[in-house]
Amino acid sequence: MRRHIWRDLDHTLVFCTIALVLLGITVIGSATHINKVGFTFTDLVSKQILFFVINGILVIAMQWFDYRKLEHWSKGLYGLTLVLLLAVMFVGTSALGAQRWIQVGPLTIQPSEFTKLFMIVCLATFLLPRINQLRTFKSLVPVFIYVGIPTLLVFKQPDLGTSLVYMAIMCGMLFIAGIRMRLVEIMLGAMVLIAPLGWFALQSYQKERILVFLNPNIDPFGAGYHIIQSKIAIGSGLIFGKGLFEGTQSQLNFLPENHTDFIFSVIGEELGFIGCVIALILLFLLIYRAFVIAKNATDPFGMMVATGIASMWAFEVLINVGMTTGIMPVTGIPLPFISYGVSALTTNLLSVGLLLNISLRQKKFMFNQIET
Amino acid sequence: MLEALYKKHKKGRLDIFIYIVAVVFIILIVRLFFLQVVDGNYYHSKAEGNRLRVMPITAARGIMYDRNGQILVGSRPAYTVSLVPTEKGISNEELTTLAKMLKVTPDTLQKKIDAHKGGYEPIRLATDIPMDAVTTIEEHQNELPGIAIDVEPLRYYPYNTMASQLFGYVGEVSEEELKKIREEDPETTVGPGTILGRAGLEKLYDNVLRGIDGGRQVEVDAAGRPVEEIGRKNTVPGRDIHLTLDLPLQEAAEKAVANQLATLHAEGIPATGAAVIALDPNTGAVLAMVSAPEFNPNWFARGITEKQWKELNDNKNHPFENKVIAGEYPPGSPFKIVTGSAALELKKVTPDEMIFDSGRHWLIDKRNAAGEALGWINFNTALAKSDNVYFYEMGRRVGIEQLDHFAQLFGLGQKTGIQLAGEASGNLASPAYKRKMFDQDWYLGETFDAAIGQSFTLVTPIQMAVLMSEVANGGIRYRPYVVSRIDNRDGTPNEIFGPKQLGSLQVSKSVMDIIRQGLHDVTEEGGTAGALFKGWPVSIAGKTGTAENVSGRDHGWFLAYAPFDKPQIVVVAVVQEGSFGAGSAGPIVRDVLAEYFHLHPDGTPDANNKNVHGQQAPTVDTNKQ
Repeated sequence: MRRHIWRDLDHTLVFCTIALVLLGITVIGSATHINKVGFTFTDLVSKQILFFVINGILVIAMQWFDYRKLEHWSKGLYGLTLVLLLAVMFVGTSALGAQRWIQVGPLTIQPSEFTKLFMIVCLATFLLPRINQLRTFKSLVPVFIYVGIPTLLVFKQPDLGTSLVYMAIMCGMLFIAGIRMRLVEIMLGAMVLIAPLGWFALQSYQKERILVFLNPNIDPFGAGYHIIQSKIAIGSGLIFGKGLFEGTQSQLNFLPENHTDFIFSVIGEELGFIGCVIALILLFLLIYRAFVIAKNATDPFGMMVATGIASMWAFEVLINVGMTTGIMPVTGIPLPFISYGVSALTTNLLSVGLLLNISLRQKKFMFNQIET
Repeated sequence: MLEALYKKHKKGRLDIFIYIVAVVFIILIVRLFFLQVVDGNYYHSKAEGNRLRVMPITAARGIMYDRNGQILVGSRPAYTVSLVPTEKGISNEELTTLAKMLKVTPDTLQKKIDAHKGGYEPIRLATDIPMDAVTTIEEHQNELPGIAIDVEPLRYYPYNTMASQLFGYVGEVSEEELKKIREEDPETTVGPGTILGRAGLEKLYDNVLRGIDGGRQVEVDAAGRPVEEIGRKNTVPGRDIHLTLDLPLQEAAEKAVANQLATLHAEGIPATGAAVIALDPNTGAVLAMVSAPEFNPNWFARGITEKQWKELNDNKNHPFENKVIAGEYPPGSPFKIVTGSAALELKKVTPDEMIFDSGRHWLIDKRNAAGEALGWINFNTALAKSDNVYFYEMGRRVGIEQLDHFAQLFGLGQKTGIQLAGEASGNLASPAYKRKMFDQDWYLGETFDAAIGQSFTLVTPIQMAVLMSEVANGGIRYRPYVVSRIDNRDGTPNEIFGPKQLGSLQVSKSVMDIIRQGLHDVTEEGGTAGALFKGWPVSIAGKTGTAENVSGRDHGWFLAYAPFDKPQIVVVAVVQEGSFGAGSAGPIVRDVLAEYFHLHPDGTPDANNKNVHGQQAPTVDTNKQ
């Protein structure tokens, strides 16, 4: 049976995942080795590798489990999501002006990352009876409340970026669930009108980021510093890059957080336009496979889950790469698979595991073999 | 359009979904294309500007040697603190921390930083900081990123105030100056932080003494911390110059001036300054040159403080003025050398003619300085005893036109031509001058005054030294010089300067012999300086002078050459408001001559053969890189 699973795995998905994680580990190594020569196993690199291996095993193990059972777990998962997010509020640790982490033994985990995947599963279940039924605003209200509660909890941490990801996941899944486009049009129109009011709901640092995004030069050494330095780093990579470990901007501390949110700048500087395009192609292939799996899924639940995952990745890539290249405001969203962060890596690898699981069960013969 | 989509099958929506994603990725790739390919070079140069800095290395300035190869002005290694500017600039806490370590106010540092607007060149914040400050700063290097400590050659004047107006001082080029210099000469080697000569020989020979600064190209991190050296341009040290000064003699002169001023002050005579020059009468080489009050050029080398600057600026006796070349004084009695030469040469008097001094001249009531009356006297006695009545009569006989003419023959009323900035030409009393300045007629009484060196005549000490040299050497007028040699970088001579004859005195030898004999008798018993050189084995020719000063006490002069029969040295001293020449300027000249002839001031031989300090000259670390 194991041989069959291997043969029937979505090879492109597996290849892209492994390639992206390896690229990530290499660039994290480069970004954190600061002023030393060559590749060194820094703590962060070892941690990232360790979690890659653990999660790799977990992903394989997941394949014996039928994802359809998750449908019945969704109430529990939703409850867990709320508990985790509330726990962050009360027992979380703060860093960089936000309370996003929980200390568990030697690990610092970021629940808002895991809960993204939980929410995808929960929302998929929640939307199942509503597919093609979302024709009135009234029908949308339960969905908004369902997603709104955890989103608001994340937003309050404050973590604007991740809460936006929740919204993006919801939008993607609602779209596929057949929301009436007329409603979308009305809501978009209303948002345009309400947006100025929303300004007052933002934290001052969030307002600042948006202002600085519009014109980084109003605060070149504060909030605009990231954008300016990131653009310099990426732009100076030219076509072929300065070579791994040779990025002067990244290596000389000009670029803060260059192993997490701004890791794409390091790729841009050290691996150039070619490296950036390769990374983006790998990410696109990944999302494309998620889309194919959604399309071929035998049940609406699988389709909705795959859609949610694809939405999550697509939005994160857009915001992260857009931010590092200066076309999107700075929001703390990591680049999937590449940025350092064990919570995000785990979430993304488990997402891949889930996708593989869905794809395995869409093949009739496979399905039968597992059933027997 | 959206409504149409809704009508489609859900699989259709998935297709739309992936198209949207594809468009997003295409937008990102286009964005990257613009950043990295289209505008890549712009960002590339920004990145280089971010990380590369040129840290200048100061070139050591050339050394000034005395005639025997002793170092007069050199350099020594010193620690300097500089700020490597970053785009962020230095924070207030860092500035405060650093200021505390350097024991200055943060304002002082801020001013220095503000003086350099823009640019990434390191800014010197403090020079020659003590070792304990170096240690403290290095220990706190992490809290002070962008603060660099370097060892640089610092201009060093081992004898502090010695010959300060002659040597001059140095200072760092300012931003405005640099702009001007670069406009005038785009190829200039002067750059930010270059040390320039500001006065004296430092300024005059700046092009020789100044080396070419080098630099290290270093990679710095975001905090301005140097990380790695990428390239280096070595410095080219400045070229050395050799002076005609004689270090022990110069020191003796300095000491003599200091002692004498102290003595006068103790006696209640508030002398306001002094000038001394020693010349070799056979070449015009300057052996010593002192102008008091002096200043300490080391203050400037280390970066002068406001307090020090105020102290120097507020000194009403002008420490920056080189009184040897720029101080203009009425010559007083030494001018009788000119009057006497004219009278003898024009045969208005014979050496033996006796003239009766009744204490006042018989035509105009002008008297001797101290009211004395010497009776029947001849030329020699008149000169040796500096009799005024006799020389009033000489002035009357010669006439102001001829006096003026002879004064010019001796080189008065014109610059000696020494290669130094700021030489004054003095002035000669004449009817033409009076007409020009006051539009008044000339009176005989003024001729009397002019004959004894009063009236409108003004001279500089160096003019008097040249005059004395002419008397000593038989009438050759040399241009005084103080720089004898400019070296190449390898220490070989590039240019050598020797005696330059400007003219010869149109006075017959017999006349000069009479004058010399008179000057000789000045220092003999009965002469005006008879007590000064009592017991000396060397015979001295000299002339005292007590010049009336309209704005204060009399200036005291003493001029001398020695040995009388074979002159080797001329020494001239003037003490501003020092009263009687024999009492104020005389002891200075005596002490200088004592050093020259290795004697004690009382004329007994100095067995140790050392200078008046009884010390060896200190040695200097030149620190040439």
